Amino acid sequence: MSRASKPGRSYPWGPARPRIGRRTLLRGAVGGAAVGVALPALEAMLGPSGAYADGTDPGPIFGVFFWANGVPWHGGHGAQQAGHPDLWTPPSTGPGYTPSELLMPLARHPVSVLSGLEPKTAIPANPPGQGDGHMRGFMVGLTGDRIRPDGFDHPSHTLTALRPSVDQHVARHPGFYGDEPSRFRSLVLGVSEARFHDYGHWNAISYNGPDSLNLPMLRPSQLHDQLFDVPADLAQLGGRARVLDAVMEDAAALRARLGARDRGRLDEHLTHLSEIQRRLDRSAATCEAPARPVDSGDLDERLDQMAELLAVALRCDLTRVFSMMLTSPATTHVFSHLGVPDGMHKTCHDGHWERVRAITAYQMEAFARFLDVLAGTTDATGASLLDRACIYATSEYGEGWKHSTAEMPVLLAGRACGALNERVHARERGGNLAQAHVTALRAIGLETPSWGWNGAETTEPVAGLLA
Amino acid sequence: MIPRRILMTLVLASSACTGAIDEPEGTRPEVEDPGESDPTERLPPFEPAAPVLPRLTQAQYRAALVDLLGAPLPRAELPADTNPYLFFNIGAASTTLSERGAELYEDSAALVAQAVFRDAARRGALVGCDPASEACLEGFVARFGRHAFRRPLEPAEQARWVGVARTLAEGDPWRGLERAVAGMLQSPFFLYRVELGEPDPEDPTRRRYTGYEMASRLAFLFTNAPPDEALLDAAAAGELDDAAGVEAHARRLAEDPRAREAIQAFFAQYFDLGRLERVERDPARYPVWTDTMAASMRREVELLVDDIVFRRDADLRELFDTRQTFVNDELAALYGVDAPGASPIAYVPVELPADGPRAGVLTLGAFLAMNAHQTETSPTLRGKYVRERVLCQTVPAPPDDIDLNLEDPESAEARTLRERLEQHRRDPACASCHAFIDPPGMLFEQFDSVGRFRTEEPGGPVDASGELDGTPLAGAKDLALVLRDDPRVPACVVRQLFRHASGRLERTSEARALRALEEEFAAGGYRFRELMVALATSEAFRTARMPGEEGEE
Repeated sequence: MSRASKPGRSYPWGPARPRIGRRTLLRGAVGGAAVGVALPALEAMLGPSGAYADGTDPGPIFGVFFWANGVPWHGGHGAQQAGHPDLWTPPSTGPGYTPSELLMPLARHPVSVLSGLEPKTAIPANPPGQGDGHMRGFMVGLTGDRIRPDGFDHPSHTLTALRPSVDQHVARHPGFYGDEPSRFRSLVLGVSEARFHDYGHWNAISYNGPDSLNLPMLRPSQLHDQLFDVPADLAQLGGRARVLDAVMEDAAALRARLGARDRGRLDEHLTHLSEIQRRLDRSAATCEAPARPVDSGDLDERLDQMAELLAVALRCDLTRVFSMMLTSPATTHVFSHLGVPDGMHKTCHDGHWERVRAITAYQMEAFARFLDVLAGTTDATGASLLDRACIYATSEYGEGWKHSTAEMPVLLAGRACGALNERVHARERGGNLAQAHVTALRAIGLETPSWGWNGAETTEPVAGLLA
Repeated sequence: MIPRRILMTLVLASSACTGAIDEPEGTRPEVEDPGESDPTERLPPFEPAAPVLPRLTQAQYRAALVDLLGAPLPRAELPADTNPYLFFNIGAASTTLSERGAELYEDSAALVAQAVFRDAARRGALVGCDPASEACLEGFVARFGRHAFRRPLEPAEQARWVGVARTLAEGDPWRGLERAVAGMLQSPFFLYRVELGEPDPEDPTRRRYTGYEMASRLAFLFTNAPPDEALLDAAAAGELDDAAGVEAHARRLAEDPRAREAIQAFFAQYFDLGRLERVERDPARYPVWTDTMAASMRREVELLVDDIVFRRDADLRELFDTRQTFVNDELAALYGVDAPGASPIAYVPVELPADGPRAGVLTLGAFLAMNAHQTETSPTLRGKYVRERVLCQTVPAPPDDIDLNLEDPESAEARTLRERLEQHRRDPACASCHAFIDPPGMLFEQFDSVGRFRTEEPGGPVDASGELDGTPLAGAKDLALVLRDDPRVPACVVRQLFRHASGRLERTSEARALRALEEEFAAGGYRFRELMVALATSEAFRTARMPGEEGEE
């Protein structure tokens, strides 16, 4: 088996053909751009809007960053939570807000704060438990919709999403990639291996739909292999791609015999095979491989390793969509280096406010370090990945002591190619969390006339964020 | 003592904790409280359920590769197993494969096919002829396909995969075969267990699983692996078309050495032993704890199961009250028993003292440590485990918008956890369920977070009294004696095995079949492998619902 990557082998930056610029597509002015000749970015010129002079543009990047167990509770989360200071919400609103204690590490980056938002989905009475903050906040925060009530069962916590999470919505949206998706439509990543349940849906923040979850890749070495471990013999890959034609013929024969549910599952499998076939066919569009990391056991270091690999992938246009789960919902991660003896979930429930403060500060510092890597990675035009990115960062609820979904912590990081105003604190007490999704999606050029379901519908972005 | 049936009714009336939940078929348990519900004659008539389409689990996939290509094989990463309702087979049947998962299968298939077909000795041994010859190629594809798809290939499939071997050979017939094999290893007929049934000649209202499908169902149930040659031959000969033939093969498989591992896999999922891997304890707080302790605890349960189910073929209910167990040196230290010959790797049989606090699997380290927190025990987790896993009862979610917390231990002025848990029962919103969950959990308070016996806890002396459904009990050992004779326990084992075997939850229309299995389990002296044989021959395992208008959901 010769699947050694070839260090030192590099390919022209970017895909084989210039992508049709997103803005070009949206303007409907496709013209003859798709038949142009590839220009390495080094030779490209930036146009006034950030697009390259040949009509291509590097395009926005969309990301989700997730951390577990909200923020330290305060009176904004409910009467019982009063008595502790609000260390999250910046004291002033508008551009150039003064960062709060917990947001201080992020002050070095273009990060906007959307405060006061909450899920607005209706909570069905049956089966009971769907109002639980973990599950409701988690699903609404990621999908704009409630938990699937069918099959929801608290003892096994068998929740699932009703629809794709926002990262997959973007990755599959025809308006995002146009005709030339990157090699990977998205990368689904995570860091902490601690988990509340073995049951998969709690360990993922990326969904394609009900019972269709994308478990994150948790080890940097795995990500490295996925991105860069391309067989030296590229002709081989063509053969592998053609084999899939026969696999799909088998699947077509089976499909006709299945009931609706399993037919849907098989159809999704078939869609994946087409994606993989496309990927095998265009494997040359990779880029110079960094060294394969030795997976660190340390959360910080592992996040750095992941961030560095992700930055290479984004710079080389191996993908433009990612999700990064620092810690999983209801995480049992033991932050022992912060002097916390129990898992985080229990620590919240036991009411250790100071410990939750320390853990949240640590998680925000981790997010800032993640952004350091994106900010420090620039392309030939001098633009950084963070300049191109819109990163929606959130947790599963406002706070973990009482599972309150009031005051959901929401951040938008990056400049989205100029579409996002920088460093704004927008506050709407009791506002609809789905407006954060509208804002992020419009920032990356997806029209999004409305978003949110089952009571969370909205047509409005959060005011003051979109340039 | 009040008869259990009346007690159960009281519990049902006074709380929502075992009430039926209105969910669509196929997603929720529909048979409540085995051993407690209606007499058999009042159960609805049996009707089979719709088939499911499980992907192979990791263990099944790896076993299938070895079966097809021989060991050793490169070990590629595979899509993760998930365990809704405890079982990987249910995760495999209910979830949709992710793109990453499909990519891992592609990678794995290419990897193993290359490992075999670029090794001249190995491919020669596997194929046994020169694939440049038409007959060799056709013969290998047919032979390989029969094992990969667990049935003979249809003519169109035979032509398709022979075609792949020819057209992608690039002048090298071995390369062509390598690609055909890599492709067949990605076919849904390999990756999924396609068991959809055929018209049942004895009953036009339902389907029966075909002989080949029965071969697969038996093989995956008893060996967690695809059917062997004998099973495929039996299917071809029509031997698996009736209960007698199925029983004969089930009995053969029950003695197969691979059944040991498959049954361990069932119990590991049923007892949720995977959670042990993530038990972390600070050795400063628990000096007896080591990096290997969780693995030792798991091994102990495996040895106990193996002893009862295989070595002695004994009454499975012994699991819940036996004082026999198997310890290595660190478990001996944890339990404070003498175990001559024990070492880190040597487990020796010991009898726990009759006057000691332990009896049964629920007093062993695995259960006690896995259902506790880093710094304190959790009567709630332990009670929930007893209710859900051992008695198959349903504990619903807390009501929305209630306080989920107890006072924190540091501000609680050194009150015991029991005293703090009283809050659950003072608050009516909590009490409805916690009065159901906590009292059996309190019985384990004599054991700390790593399962060590204790008489003191922070805040005072340990009080391990509690109750189960109104029967006051003094501690975990009392519970063991009660569970040993509680009919809900074997009924729960039946239900869990049924879920594991069928890859889905049971349905109301299958209640009679489950009841019959409970009776056969009892009649067979509660021997687990007898139960497996009874299940394999049950019509619930051998028949399927007709495809409906809206698909087979």
